[in-house]
Amino acid sequence: MNWDWDKLQKQRQGNSGGTPPGFDDFNEQFKKFKNFKLPGGKLIFLALGVLWLLSGIYIVEPDEVGVVKRFGEFSRITTSGPHYHIPYPVESVLTPKVTQIQRIEMGFRSMTRNRSVPFRQGQERGVPDESLMLTGDENIVSLQFIVQFMIKDAKEYLFNVMDVEGTIKNAASAAMREVMGKSRIDDALTTGKQEIQASTRELMQGILDSYKCGISIVAVQLQNVHPPDQVVDAFKDVASAREDKSRLENEAQAYANDILPKARGQAARIVNASQAYKEAKVRLAEGDASKFLAVLKEYNKARDITKKRLYLETMEEILSNPEAEKLILSDDALKKSVPYLPLDRIQRGKGESTNTKQ
Amino acid sequence: MKKQTIILIAGILVGALLLTQIMFTVDQTEQAIVLQLGKPVHPNALGPGLHFKLPIVQDVVYFDSRILDYDAKPEEITTEDKKYMNIDSYAKWRIANPLLFYQKVRTIPGAQARLDDIIRSQLRVSLGRYTLIEVVSHKRSEIMSNVTERTQKQLLPYGIEVVDVRIKRTDLPTENASAIFGRMKAERERQAKQYRSEGEEKSARIKAQADKERSIILAEANKEAAIIRGEGDAEATRIYAEALGQSPEFYAFKRSLDAYRKGLKDNSRFIFTPDSPFLQYFQ
Repeated sequence: MNWDWDKLQKQRQGNSGGTPPGFDDFNEQFKKFKNFKLPGGKLIFLALGVLWLLSGIYIVEPDEVGVVKRFGEFSRITTSGPHYHIPYPVESVLTPKVTQIQRIEMGFRSMTRNRSVPFRQGQERGVPDESLMLTGDENIVSLQFIVQFMIKDAKEYLFNVMDVEGTIKNAASAAMREVMGKSRIDDALTTGKQEIQASTRELMQGILDSYKCGISIVAVQLQNVHPPDQVVDAFKDVASAREDKSRLENEAQAYANDILPKARGQAARIVNASQAYKEAKVRLAEGDASKFLAVLKEYNKARDITKKRLYLETMEEILSNPEAEKLILSDDALKKSVPYLPLDRIQRGKGESTNTKQ
Repeated sequence: MKKQTIILIAGILVGALLLTQIMFTVDQTEQAIVLQLGKPVHPNALGPGLHFKLPIVQDVVYFDSRILDYDAKPEEITTEDKKYMNIDSYAKWRIANPLLFYQKVRTIPGAQARLDDIIRSQLRVSLGRYTLIEVVSHKRSEIMSNVTERTQKQLLPYGIEVVDVRIKRTDLPTENASAIFGRMKAERERQAKQYRSEGEEKSARIKAQADKERSIILAEANKEAAIIRGEGDAEATRIYAEALGQSPEFYAFKRSLDAYRKGLKDNSRFIFTPDSPFLQYFQ
C-alpha cells in the first residue's frame, strides 16, 4: 500500500509519457477521477455512509444464534430475529445452527452421502478400520454406530476447539473402544446394546466437556453389530445349535407326551379287566352256590329217591350216547373174554372203562 | 478546491494507513505477543479484542488459542505379555504460554514434532507395563491419564499444555487378529457342540423318564389287577365253601355225577356185569 501510494504521487508529479507500461491503466483511471466533477460529492459520501451503516443489519434464523464479535473479541449472543451490529471493521457476526441435530457415521458411510440422491437405508459401505474393535474378553467384533450431536454452547463451539467435527469423531472412536474394552462380545451382540450406547454417550460427553467444545451428544446408536466376516459362520452355527437343542428337547417332550397317556390308558384297561374278572368270578360262585343250596334243600327232603333219580338220570344220559360202546358180561365171561377185547381201544379207554360200579 | 479535495483524500488515506500500523485486533480464537525489534514487550500474551502498538518498531505474532489437535500415526507397540498391538492415539493440546512456545518451537508443526517425540515414547513406556488385556480393558483410562500427566509435565517448558492424550484405537496386527479369529471360531464351535449335546442329553433324560414312568404305571396296574383277581378268587372260594360245606356228602355225589357226565362221553366202553346196580332190574 505504501509503495503504491508513493508511486502514485510520483506519477502525479511526473505526469508524462515516461511511465512504466504497467501503470498506464491506473494513470488514466486517476486522471478521470481527478477531472471528475461531481456536483453532489457530499451526497455520495452520505450515501456511502448510510450504506455502511446499513451493512450492520443481520438476521438470525430460527435454528441459529448470532454470535457478535467486536474487534475479534466475543461480545454478545443474540437470538433469532433481526439485529444490528456496528459495521465492519468494528463488529462481525457468526450464525452457527444450534438446533440442528447433526450426525456422524462411525464404521460405515452411507453411499448416498456423496451423491445428491435422497438417503436410503441399507446403501452403505463398511469401513473395517473403524468398525473392528477388541472386546474385553479378547474377541473382535464389528460395530457400526452413529453419533448424533448438537451445539449446546455456541461460544464454546466457535472459539474453544479447532476442528470440532474431527474432535467428536476421535472422541467417539476412543469412547466406544473404551466401553467395548470393558464389555463381553456376547453382550455387544445381544442384550448389552442399550447399556453400551448409554455408557458411550456418557463417556463421550465427559471427554468433550473436558475440551469445552460446546457440543451436546444427543445419542449414540449402534447400527450393526456383528461378528467379523471371518467368524460369522461359526456364530451363526451357534444360533442354529441353540435351535437344535430346543428342537431335541421338544421332540423328547413330544415322545413323553405320546407314550405316557397311552400307558395310563393301558393301565386302566388292565385294572378294569381284573375288576371284571373278580366280579364275574364272585357272581359265578354265588350262582353256583345258590343253585347247589336249592338242590340240597330238595335233596334233604327225600334223600334216597333223589339220589337214585339223579344217578339214573346221569347214567341214562351217559349211556344214551350212541358213540359209547356197551357190553354186558357175566363175571366169568368177563374173565374169559379178556383176550377178545380189542386191545388198542382198551388201552385208550382204560381209565373210563374200568369200574362203573356205583 | 481541487487541491483541497486531494489533500483531504490523501490525509484520510495516510491516516487509515497509520491506524492499521498502530491498532490491531486479536480474534476470539487467537492470542498474540508483541515484539519490539525482536524483544517481547509484555510478559503475557494479549487476549482477544482491540490493541495498540508502536508502528514499525513493534511486530505482532499471533497464535491459536484454541485446543489443537494432534493425531498420531498408528504404531506397533509391545505389551508386558509380549504381545504386539497397533495403537492409534490422539492428543489435545493448546499453546499455554505463547512466548515460551515462540521461543522453543515457534510454529505448530514444530510443536507437533515435539509432541510426537514425547507422546510416542510415553505411550511406549506406559503400555509396556501392562498386559494386552489390561490395555484393552480395565486399565485403559488409568494409562491414558498417566500418559497425559507425564506429557503435560514434559511439555510445560515448551509453553504447551497437554489437555488430553487418548488412545483412539487398539488393534491387533493382522497375524494376531487371525489367531484371535481362529480362537473365536473354536470357541463358538465348542459352544455349538455343547448346545447340541446338551440338547441330546436333555432329550435322553426326558425320554428315559417317560419310559420309566410308563413301566411304573403298567406295573402298578398289573399289581392292582393281581390283587383284585385274588380278591375275586378268594371271595368265590369263600362262597363255594360256605354253600358246599352244608352238605359235603351231597356235593361229592352230585359233583361226581357231573364229572361222569362230562368225562364219559365218546369213545367210552362200558362193561357191566349183571351185578351192577344199574342193571338191577335188567335181569
